[in-house]
Amino acid sequence: MGTLLQQIANGIVLGATIGLIALGYTMVYGIIQLINFAHGEVFMVGAFGGLAVYRWMLPQSWQEQWYIALPLMLLGGVVVAVVIAVIMERFAYRPLRNAPRLAPLITALGVSVALQEAIRIWYPDADAAQPFPRVFVDEQIKIGPVEISASGLLLIVVSIGLSILLQAYVSRSRMGRAMRATSQDRDTARLMGVNPDRVIVMTFILGAALAGVGGVLYGSWITNVDNSIGFQNGIFAFTAAVLGGIGSLRGAVIGAFIIGLIKNLGGQYLPGGTQYDYVWIFVVLILVLVFRPQGLFGEAERVRA
Amino acid sequence: MSRLTGFLPTALARPFAVIGGVLLLIAAMLPWATFLLNDGAYPDKATLQFFDAPLELTGYRWNVLLFGAAAIIATFAPTPGKARVLRALGWGGLAISAITSIFIAGKGGGLGAITAVDGNYAFGGIVGVIGGIVLILAAGAMPLPDIPHWSTKVFGLEGWAGRIAAWVALLIAFAAVLYLVQLTLTVGGIGGAAFPYAGPVFLAFLGFAGGLLGALHGMGITGWVSRLSEENRAFSIVVLLLCAFALPFTEAGSQYWMQVAATIGVYAATAIGLNIVVGLAGLLDLGYVAFLGIGAFVAANLSGAAASTVGWNIPFPLAALLSAVIAGIFGAIVGSPTLRVRGDYLAIVTLAFGEIFYRTAQNDIGTLTGGASAIPGIPPITMFGTAFNEPITLFGTELPTGVLYYFLIVLVVAAVMAVFANLKNSRIGRAWIAIREDEDAARAMGIATGKAKILAFMCGATLAGLAGAIFVHKLGTASYDSFKFLESVTLLAAVILGGMGTIPGAVLGASLLFVLPEKLREFEDYRLLVFGLALIFIMRFRPQGLVPDRVRRAEFAGETAEGKSIEEIQEKAVLEQELELEREHEAPSAPKEAGR
Repeated sequence: MGTLLQQIANGIVLGATIGLIALGYTMVYGIIQLINFAHGEVFMVGAFGGLAVYRWMLPQSWQEQWYIALPLMLLGGVVVAVVIAVIMERFAYRPLRNAPRLAPLITALGVSVALQEAIRIWYPDADAAQPFPRVFVDEQIKIGPVEISASGLLLIVVSIGLSILLQAYVSRSRMGRAMRATSQDRDTARLMGVNPDRVIVMTFILGAALAGVGGVLYGSWITNVDNSIGFQNGIFAFTAAVLGGIGSLRGAVIGAFIIGLIKNLGGQYLPGGTQYDYVWIFVVLILVLVFRPQGLFGEAERVRA
Repeated sequence: MSRLTGFLPTALARPFAVIGGVLLLIAAMLPWATFLLNDGAYPDKATLQFFDAPLELTGYRWNVLLFGAAAIIATFAPTPGKARVLRALGWGGLAISAITSIFIAGKGGGLGAITAVDGNYAFGGIVGVIGGIVLILAAGAMPLPDIPHWSTKVFGLEGWAGRIAAWVALLIAFAAVLYLVQLTLTVGGIGGAAFPYAGPVFLAFLGFAGGLLGALHGMGITGWVSRLSEENRAFSIVVLLLCAFALPFTEAGSQYWMQVAATIGVYAATAIGLNIVVGLAGLLDLGYVAFLGIGAFVAANLSGAAASTVGWNIPFPLAALLSAVIAGIFGAIVGSPTLRVRGDYLAIVTLAFGEIFYRTAQNDIGTLTGGASAIPGIPPITMFGTAFNEPITLFGTELPTGVLYYFLIVLVVAAVMAVFANLKNSRIGRAWIAIREDEDAARAMGIATGKAKILAFMCGATLAGLAGAIFVHKLGTASYDSFKFLESVTLLAAVILGGMGTIPGAVLGASLLFVLPEKLREFEDYRLLVFGLALIFIMRFRPQGLVPDRVRRAEFAGETAEGKSIEEIQEKAVLEQELELEREHEAPSAPKEAGR
């Protein structure tokens, strides 16, 4: 029983991470029907951005005060992630807006490979895994039989909080309305006075900001990062977005928690152990895509793949 | 390119073309580096005051000289497709000069190396770059001619005489291709410490080859050759095969290059298989390398290797067949979701299958894959009492180790090409193309789309499985690490770079993607980065690939099947319509009367 609860707790922390990435995937797909393969890399770059702030910008005395260090690192991660995402949208995806659908997908693969390699080559020492400081309170919190690190708890709280904020933004604000309009029918939205380019950039910015926050928090939870965390977690996040119904924000977050649980519980209880936990996630991905491509919460007609 | 058009007034086109050509000539005569580089003299004596290099065809100064002279001749002589030729020469000259200058400046520690230092002057590179740009501008100012269409009746000869003339022309063309391939392989030597300049020399040579082929294309010669070879198909196939078999007898016939060529062959065969799925049927497969892997592991288990679990020792042809069949079965399984899933969702499903294969192979599923310790010690293929990794003597020439694999792979690639070409022109091939263009319409026309799609996956996987069987014998080890996601992306990139749906495209793409890293050892660290950026740039600027399929080109570049821009044609149609209206306006009753 203790193990089960512990694995559930670990799964929820991982789910919170994946959720922050999956939101970006689902928003971008909802608006321009692009599987932004490079979104996982934005998460990775965000983690390295936060690490850069900690290493080279914060004086020693500030590094130890988490209430100063953490916000600044988050800011650094978010800024780097957003800048990368905007450049990516402007120079790689926008010129291909009317190209056949294969083209942007392949471009996204290219962006993903290029970003991973750029970090490996030019980020100091990043050819091996880098230790990430545990900036937040370094403590294990015990809840009954379950032990969870303070950073993990923070990740859960922030992830859920930001998802609710995002949901409110998209459903209440003017820009959010424009986003929903653009995702339903870009041409009509344009006729109604919405500037689709601005909406799309805004979507990328929001997604990247969430991924940046996720990257920094994930780093401080897992305590080491390398240039492949983006690809792995990106695939998980994509699976989560599909599971929840791509285009649906609520679905992405719930899907993320389900994926997190599958990975940890599958690694614990299914044959093959942790070596095969990835395999279960891919199996789920295939099953969902084949048998319920609209996902758990997606609207059937939205799926035009 | 269109932005360069009209940058200069048309009247200045000719003088500028001459100036560009002369600048290239001068560049070739000037020194290119102010001092000796640390790693020894740059090939062709970049520091010499005057051009005294031997007439080595791969020397970059000789190339620049050739381009300059050709540009001047093309300007004055009645050249077919003049603007296209000048443009190609300009880009070629620019590429050679820029690559060489950047390298010399980088190695020599800055701009001083290619300008002036200590009373030494070396403006060759900069003059070359300017010459190239001037030529491109001049070509942009000229009206862009259609590519000339030469008659395939050589010298207007008919009957047997005509056929023999065509054969001679084809022989010359294919010999030139063989020579170019051999040069491309050997130029600059193997990358690494022994040949510190292999990278830039090779890239500059690629610039030369590109410029040359571009100019020939602009003159309509490459198109003419390809039409000639289509008309004399059997003859061309035999000659091309002979050319491929002749490669080991040229300078490229060293052990090293034979091994590289054999590896390229494996990937080319796999890429052609992938081309069926992606290029013909339009189904994006992101886990394709798994089939290569399945073929490889099956063959490894049937090779009698001590480390394999099954450990049967089956004659290679049978083992290869089994590998292909089993890979094909898996292809059908992976393809089955296509019945329900389309587009990028399908791409993700294939990616998931690929990752599942990778993870299970990594964890040594059923002790069939060896896991992290791989399956080492796979014996070489043995047929007719000869092990394939031994050197042989043919026609009095000692051929190096690995040449037998090369021969085998040439045969396999040829067979795979034949399969592909026949499939493409068959009923099922047309069905695939129809599905690629519009699945619903294809279904409405009575094509069993589900069956056709699964068949596409099966065919592709079978070819990959066959390639995998050779791959694993040649390599000697079967490791899961050879089949990771990036390999799938690389194969996909080979298909896209070369041109989707065409055979030469897949072969060219695979060759480029696997020769370049061999040549650019120095920059090995940047290989994947460049590769990722290349994917982005190809999709942005040339999504139809280097050797585009006619229909594909129409799709991606907004052109008609004849290669003309749709926009231009529309403009022309509108103009004609306006003229028509004007004419009608002037003489409204004239045509009616004529009709009576």
